[in-house]
Amino acid sequence: MVPDNELLEQARDAGTDLDLIDTNLALRVEDRWRQHDGALRFILKLQEAKAAHDAGLQPTDR
Amino acid sequence: MTPDFSQLIAKLTDSGFEFVMIGGYAAVTYGSSQVTLDLDVCAVLTSENIELLRKALAEWNPRHRMTAERLSFLKFPKTGEALNDLYLETDIGVVDILSSVLGVGDFARLKNAAEKFEVDGRICWVISLPDLIVAKEAVGRGKDKLTAVELRIIAAKRKPRAEGNEPR
Repeated sequence: MVPDNELLEQARDAGTDLDLIDTNLALRVEDRWRQHDGALRFILKLQEAKAAHDAGLQPTDR
Repeated sequence: MTPDFSQLIAKLTDSGFEFVMIGGYAAVTYGSSQVTLDLDVCAVLTSENIELLRKALAEWNPRHRMTAERLSFLKFPKTGEALNDLYLETDIGVVDILSSVLGVGDFARLKNAAEKFEVDGRICWVISLPDLIVAKEAVGRGKDKLTAVELRIIAAKRKPRAEGNEPR
């Protein structure tokens, strides 16, 4: 089935990446899970790196 | 913490702990592109179920994430006690166990309509797509609304299904 135009418009307005959904739907469930978990690990590493970076910044009076 | 929800789900399934996956990871299961920080499941937290859960999570240092002291789930609640909800963090991810889902209902209601997925040879029950959409819209936060839109797109793209809750 194809989503109706109203739904597609709503999705575009919400910033939904329709291509990404199609890519996910082409994957097996186990691969969707692994892809998600990998993305989450990457996000957490970035957050750790940001925290370490911010901790190393010196306060300034200016 | 190194999140690995796939491994958590495998362990929970193998333990005999009966649950239905809900929340963001259920959305991922259906094909959503959103990233979630925790694994949410719905279950009845009888004292027997709590013991199964304790054994399943023991190797990953489960603790109550809503307590300041991060009390160990291996020690609290005491054996024989039942609970409604559990909010845990483990060495491989956060897992929340809820007795009901806003806008949908309790475990029995969810399980009745849940969809069965076979993943890596294991059967995993996941909240039905229509129920998940209702739940996401009921919560109403920005990211939940976005997920609900994605899920409605996914629902429209799914081919008409035969009767029954068979995996796709």
